[in-house]
Amino acid sequence: MTQAPSHRRLVAMGIVLGAAVGAGLCFWLLGRARAAEARSREERIAIVSLQALADVVEEAGGSGDEVRAAVTGFARAEPELRSIRVIVFEGLSLEASTHPDDAGDRAPPRRLSSEEKPLYDQGQRLRAAFETNQQEGAARKAEIEVERRSVGGLALAAPVEIDGAVAGVVLVETAPVPPAPGGGTAAAFITFLAPVLLLGVAGLLLGEKRLALNVTAAVLIVVALAGYSRYVVGALETAMRATESAVAERMQGAADAAGGVLAALPAGMERRELRPSAWDSDTYRKPLGLHSDDGRLDESKFAAAYAGASGWVKRKATGSGIAALAVLLFVGLGGASRLLGTLRRHRHAYAYVAPAMVGMIVLVFFPFFYGLALSFTDQNIYNTEKPFTEIWVGLRNFVDILGDFSVAQRTPDGMVFNFQNFYWTLGFTVLWTIANVAIGVTVGLVLALILNTKGLALRPIYRVLLILPWAMPNYITALIWKGMFHQQFGVANQIIQIFGGEPIAWFEGTATSFSAVLATNGWLSFPFMMVISLGALQSIPADLYEAARVDGATRWQQFRGITLPSLKPALVPAVILSVIWTFNMFNIIYLVSAGEPAHSTEILITQAYKYAFEQYRYGYAAAYSTVIFGILLVYGTWQNRVTGATEGI
Amino acid sequence: MSHGKRTGEFPHLPMHAVLLAITAVTVYPILWVFTVAFSGKQSLAIVDLPPDPTLYDRLRSIVPWPAAFSVSNFTSVWMDQPFGRWLLNSAMVAAATTVLGVFLACTAGYAFSRFRFPGRRAGLMSFLVSQMFPGTLTLVPLYIILVKWLGLGSNYMGLILVYATTSIPFCVWMLKGYFDTIPKELEESALMDGASPATIFLRIILPLAKPAVAVTALFSFMTAWNEFILALTFMDKEVMYTAPVGLRFFVGGFSQQWGYFAAGSIIVSIPVVALFMYLQKYLVSGLTAGAVKG
Repeated sequence: MTQAPSHRRLVAMGIVLGAAVGAGLCFWLLGRARAAEARSREERIAIVSLQALADVVEEAGGSGDEVRAAVTGFARAEPELRSIRVIVFEGLSLEASTHPDDAGDRAPPRRLSSEEKPLYDQGQRLRAAFETNQQEGAARKAEIEVERRSVGGLALAAPVEIDGAVAGVVLVETAPVPPAPGGGTAAAFITFLAPVLLLGVAGLLLGEKRLALNVTAAVLIVVALAGYSRYVVGALETAMRATESAVAERMQGAADAAGGVLAALPAGMERRELRPSAWDSDTYRKPLGLHSDDGRLDESKFAAAYAGASGWVKRKATGSGIAALAVLLFVGLGGASRLLGTLRRHRHAYAYVAPAMVGMIVLVFFPFFYGLALSFTDQNIYNTEKPFTEIWVGLRNFVDILGDFSVAQRTPDGMVFNFQNFYWTLGFTVLWTIANVAIGVTVGLVLALILNTKGLALRPIYRVLLILPWAMPNYITALIWKGMFHQQFGVANQIIQIFGGEPIAWFEGTATSFSAVLATNGWLSFPFMMVISLGALQSIPADLYEAARVDGATRWQQFRGITLPSLKPALVPAVILSVIWTFNMFNIIYLVSAGEPAHSTEILITQAYKYAFEQYRYGYAAAYSTVIFGILLVYGTWQNRVTGATEGI
Repeated sequence: MSHGKRTGEFPHLPMHAVLLAITAVTVYPILWVFTVAFSGKQSLAIVDLPPDPTLYDRLRSIVPWPAAFSVSNFTSVWMDQPFGRWLLNSAMVAAATTVLGVFLACTAGYAFSRFRFPGRRAGLMSFLVSQMFPGTLTLVPLYIILVKWLGLGSNYMGLILVYATTSIPFCVWMLKGYFDTIPKELEESALMDGASPATIFLRIILPLAKPAVAVTALFSFMTAWNEFILALTFMDKEVMYTAPVGLRFFVGGFSQQWGYFAAGSIIVSIPVVALFMYLQKYLVSGLTAGAVKG
């Protein structure tokens, strides 16, 4: 180790990096907020035009020459609309169009061609959404579809209502909008530079005082970022106000266009009064209510919308500030240089470990912690898009799983078990594990002892044949045994019938179902134990037995005194491994018994899988899996303490 | 008995009886698969029983020998079903997984065995603990990471990465145990001769650790070749299925094509059983070296 690095240098590096991180994040945040605002502005303006147009089409009767005249007139007054199409479901008719493709012999009115089916489908989707919302009295499905076109601009669709029912659809495409101006680069640069320069000055005054330097730097960064986030929030307000005035302007324009078009229609039709304020709506056609019909902005509603948006920005800015401070203090207090020093000193080791470690972190450890977080939420197939904070339920899943003790109920017909109860499944899993490991160890050990006999004929052949089950893919084994336990054609029942028995419906009773899965797993798990034991037996020096025989030890004494102790170091880890494997032996249960009957032969892992992928309760399934992990961890820790398997690594 | 006691040996006959009985149970399901595969039919019964079967009929129905011999299941699984494509997919994924898995496990195992660095013990223990992570806990997050963030849905790369990393912990522990048994003096003398760490690793350690590397390769290969839940979750196009998903397709749900399944099973099992038999000698030494710590 050379001399300790200068605190001033460390803090200087810290503030450069910290300010860069903070300013960079806030600048990126500003860009995102602006882009989001520009997108929403473009959509709101387009929706205003679309709804004005839909009103005009409805007023013009929904079909016929009047609609064609109205659409042409409206398109002339609203040049931002690149194309307008009106489709009427009855007769699959394209009633009006200003689309350049629909000229000449394709001019409306005409029947829709087959490649235009997506347009018709879109209309039917909107009709279904409209009817659903009407029946439920709620806005659950979007009644306006907005899509970004690959060439820029939007494609929108809205239903056309005639006499309270959706009779058609109006589709428009808007012109691309030039990107919103950027700005704020200079302010971001100042945010970065100012604290750095000021710290330089402070460094001259403070000298090598570590704490004072770090505190000063932290204060400088906080102040600079607070200033910049005020600027960001201000810029956001400007953008939002610009949006509102643009929307108001468009409402006015659309109202004028619609009024002009409707006035040109033949008299005699009953006219509704146009309500431009209703055109500015969300995609459920619920008016936002920010503007009155004459285009005045409702300041209190605007303030509410602004508070929501600026709150989001402020939260994110606070996060950026925390990140910047963390970087500053990590570098400034010397943590980073120590870390770099360690990395440099052991660079060979870390270089060798890095590839595997990165893979493990991204694809094993991160998913694990993500899963843990998931277990505290109520995530299911309907709310996957929501952030965890909104679906957080705390320990509720765990209380539901672990707090439900109603395993069995006494009824007049005898005991009734609740097979979906956690403790039933846990008990079954433990029974399953113990039974399998016991079978595996017993059969494996007996075979190993026999195969270890010197001079036994055909030894290599037995050995190869007995290993086969381990070599076979276990899902194939599972499916084969499922076939053999088939009630009508399975071999198992044929054998029973030879001895005069009745065929058994293996998967209709818990006990028979359990024997079926146990037979399958026993078949595939004994070779592992056999091979391990055989390896250990062969490594026992023969002179040990000779010496024991000279001392007059009986065979049983030799077995107790020599064979078993020599097997222990190999068998103990093998048993630990096979307990964990069997506890989580998904394939056999899932493919052979599938938990039948009524989930009574489910083990914990298959039950968790069913919660996740058959009931789509992701949060609950994650909590269930976390409990499984907890059980295995306790078991592993206990085993480790008993056997000392990881001592001295 | 006095004879046995003196020489320390049991009579061989009862041992053969036990071995024969267990071997029969072991081999029977495999013979059954061959029978169904070569029957040329899709039924899982070996023979069709008459309405009122005699004892002979019943005995015939459990003898694993097809009523009529035919290879039609093999030809049609190959020609009429997309099985060849599935097999190719599996082979590609398994080969890539093996290469990647061996690379990752060898480098990490070597570092854990030879270097002493901060985080070594934590790293080793975390690998051990990760063996206890239930697959169902990580499946949903993995889906989100691979499909939504990395854009690897319906992509072999996603499967390869996941398979390679799931086999890492076991392989690293086993390789570390094996590397520990290689004397350090070998490296030290090479270091004196001016060899670089990379040369020592590639030229000296890896060749000496061949048995353990072989087991790592086998283990990675088997992980990829035999896995089916992840493949089922991530591959949604039929042409992109791997062989396990495809096989399940024959007899899952309402499909009862046992002949295709049996023929396909044999084709899928042959390479992995052959590899396993070829490498099992190493497997034993690798497993025991890792367990016993020489």
